Amino acid sequence: MKRSILLLLSLVMATFFGLAACGSKEEGGDNGGGKTKGVTLTIGSWRTEDKAGYEKIIKAFNEKYPDIHVEFKPTKNTEYDTILNTNLKAGSGPDIIQLRPYAPGMALAKSGYLEPLDDVDGLAQFPKMILEAATGEDGKVYGVPLSINTAQIFYNKDIFKKYHLSEPKTWDDLIAIAKTLKKNGVVPFAFGTKDGWLLSLSHSIIGPAFYGKDFPDQIAKGDVDFTDPKFVDSLKAMKAITPYFPDKYTGLGEVDDRTLFASGQAAMYVEGSFDIEPVRQLNPNLDLGFFPMPSASGGEPTITTWVDSSYGINAHSKHKKEAKKFIEFLTTKAFGKLFTDTFKRPSAIPGIASEDPLVAALSKTADQDAVPYFILTTFNSGNPTTKATLESNLQAMYLGKMQPEDVAKSLQESAKTWFAPFKK
Amino acid sequence: MKAAIKPSRQNMARPYKKRNWKKYALHLLPLPAFLIYFLFVLYPIFSAFVYSFFDWDGLVRGAFVGLKNFVDLFARKPFNVMFWNGFRHNVLYFVIEMIVQNGFAFLLAYLLFTKLKGAGFFKAVFFFPRLLSVIVVGFLWKLILNPNFGALNRLLGIVGLEEWAKPWLGDPKTALIAIILINCWFGLGFSMLIFLAGLQAIPREILEAARLDGVKGLRMIRSILLPMMFPSIMIITVFTFTQAFEAFELVYAMQGSDGGPAFSTDTLAVYFYRLAFASANASEIGLGSALAVVLFLFISALSALFLYLTRKKTVEG
Repeated sequence: MKRSILLLLSLVMATFFGLAACGSKEEGGDNGGGKTKGVTLTIGSWRTEDKAGYEKIIKAFNEKYPDIHVEFKPTKNTEYDTILNTNLKAGSGPDIIQLRPYAPGMALAKSGYLEPLDDVDGLAQFPKMILEAATGEDGKVYGVPLSINTAQIFYNKDIFKKYHLSEPKTWDDLIAIAKTLKKNGVVPFAFGTKDGWLLSLSHSIIGPAFYGKDFPDQIAKGDVDFTDPKFVDSLKAMKAITPYFPDKYTGLGEVDDRTLFASGQAAMYVEGSFDIEPVRQLNPNLDLGFFPMPSASGGEPTITTWVDSSYGINAHSKHKKEAKKFIEFLTTKAFGKLFTDTFKRPSAIPGIASEDPLVAALSKTADQDAVPYFILTTFNSGNPTTKATLESNLQAMYLGKMQPEDVAKSLQESAKTWFAPFKK
Repeated sequence: MKAAIKPSRQNMARPYKKRNWKKYALHLLPLPAFLIYFLFVLYPIFSAFVYSFFDWDGLVRGAFVGLKNFVDLFARKPFNVMFWNGFRHNVLYFVIEMIVQNGFAFLLAYLLFTKLKGAGFFKAVFFFPRLLSVIVVGFLWKLILNPNFGALNRLLGIVGLEEWAKPWLGDPKTALIAIILINCWFGLGFSMLIFLAGLQAIPREILEAARLDGVKGLRMIRSILLPMMFPSIMIITVFTFTQAFEAFELVYAMQGSDGGPAFSTDTLAVYFYRLAFASANASEIGLGSALAVVLFLFISALSALFLYLTRKKTVEG
C-alpha cells in the first residue's frame, strides 16, 4: 500500500515537472538569440499582416535601447479579443497591448488590466479628441493612439474619366454619377451587405450627408436621439442607393467588394483607409482616388475619422519600466514618420505627413472636414452593443425585414438601456 | 472495446497475486490522462456553473445574484428572442440531419452491405469529407456558394438555369438550409460506417433463415435489418442530437459570430460565443455561462433519456 502511494506521488510529480519543463523551455526560446542579458517585451496585436513592418520599427527602437528585446506577437483579428481576455484573466498576456479604440479598449482599464500612462510626456502633443479613444472612465489616459482611420468613398479614376464624370459636390451629383455608371454596365458601388461591421462603417460615411456635421456632438450630449428625422433620413438614403449595388449584394462581403472594385467591375468603394493597401495588392495599377461625402442639404462635405487603435501597458507585466520606454518611443515624431511610411496609414501623431500622395491627401482632408464615426466612438456599449444593433438591423433592412423607421426606433431602445444622457 | 480488454487483463494478473502492488499500479496509469481531463473538461464545466450565478462587469466578477442570469436569459429582451431563435434553428438542424444525412447514410450502408462492386472504394469516398477540418469545409463551400464568382451559380448559368442562382449564404431563406446540408455532406460518411457496422453485426443465420423463407428487398429492410440494428440507430440518433445542438464551427466559419444574415443562421452555441466572448466591453460572462449550463443540462438530460430507452428496449428484445 505504501509503495502504491509513493508511486502515485512520483507519477504526479513527474507529470507536473514534465509540464513545468515544457513551460520553461518556451520561455527559454523567447530569450534566445544571444540577447539573454536584457529583458524581452512582447507586443500583442490583431494586425498579423503588419509583422514584417514591425520588425523595422523594433529595429529603430533597438538603436536607442539595444538591451530591450521586443517581440511582435499578433493573433488573428477576429480571435484577438477572446485570446487577450482569457490571458488577462489568467494574469498573463503580452507586456504591451494593442487596444481597441473607445469603450471596448477602455473596458480593460476598468477591469484593472491596464497601467495608467500619467507620466508619459509625449502624450501632451495629442489633441483631446484623439486621446479620448484611450481615456478611461476615470479620466486617465491608458494608451498611446497609433493611427487615425478615415472612411470615405474611393473611386476608380480611369472609369470616371472614361464616362466624363467628376467628383460629386452634392448628393444629387452622386446619384447622377451612379445612374450614368449603371447605364453603361459598370457596377456603381462595390457594396455587399453580408458583413455587418461594414454596414455601420458605410452608414457613418454616407449618413453625415443627411444628419450633418453637428449631429454626433448633439446626440452625445443627449440633445437629439436616434428617432430624429435627420437620422431616419440617413437610414433611408442607405436603402435608396440599393439599385446601384452589385447583383446579389446580400451575399457579398468585404472580400467580394474589394475584388469587384480592384478588378474594375465596380467604380466606387465605400471603405476605410485601412483597405488602401489590400486594394493595391490586388491591383497595383489601379488609379485610386477618393472624395469626401457631399452634403444632401447644402452643408459642408465630410470625411469620417476615428482613432484606429492605441498601445497600452499590461498592469501585470513584469517589465513595466521597459514597456514604458517603448510606449514613449511610440509618441516620438520619428516613430510617426516610420509608421505612416511603412504601413501607408495616417499616424495619430500630429504633423506627420505621409510620402504616399493618397494618404497625405486623406490626412489633409481629415484636418478640415472630419466627422466622427460616432456609432463606434460613443455607442459601442450595451449588450448587444448599440453598434451591433445598427449592424444587424441594417442587414435586416436590406433583406426587406425592417423599415428605416423601425431601425431608428430599435437603436433608441438599445441605447436607452445603458446610455446615460438618454436615461434622464 | 474497454469491456473486451478488461477481463483478459484480470486473467493475466491472477498468477502474480503475491505482488499485489502491481495490480494497484495498473490503476495509476490513467492518472495523467485524468489530470488533463480534469483540468480541461471537468474544471471548466464546474466553473461555468459557478460563473452563471454571479453578476459580471466585463471580465470582473461581481456579486452573487442567484438565478438572475437564468431569468434574464428567458425573460429579458433581446436575450429571450435570441435564445428561441437559436433553439428553433438547432431543432431544424437536428430534423434535417436525421432525415437527409442519416437517411442517405443508411441507403449507402445498405448498398455497401449488399456487396456492391467496389464497395471499399466507395466507402473511402463517402467518408472522405469527414477527414477535412470543418474550417476548411466551411471555406471551400463559401467559395462554391459565392454569389458572383462561385461554382454553383456558374454551373446554374451554364445549364441555363440562371434565374435559380441566388446569394445562397446572404438570403435568410436559404442560408441555414445550405449550412445544414453542407453539414450533412460532411457527416454522411460517419453515419454510414456506424450503420454498416450495425448491419454487419447481424448474425448470418438470421439473414439466411429469412432469405430461405422468401423475404426480399424492402420487406427484408423493414422487418429484419432495421429492428436488428436498433442499437446503431439509437447511437446515431444520440450522436446527431448532441452534434446538432452543439452546432457551432460551420456557422462560425461561414457566417461569423453574428449568425448572419440578420441572425438567420444563429444557433445556441454561436449565440453563447457571442454573449460570452465576442467583444471586450459587451461580454456577458454571467449570461453566457447560464446559457452554457442550460445547454449542458438540456443535451445531457435528453441524451440520457435516449440511452435509457435504448437499453430498456434492447434488454426486453
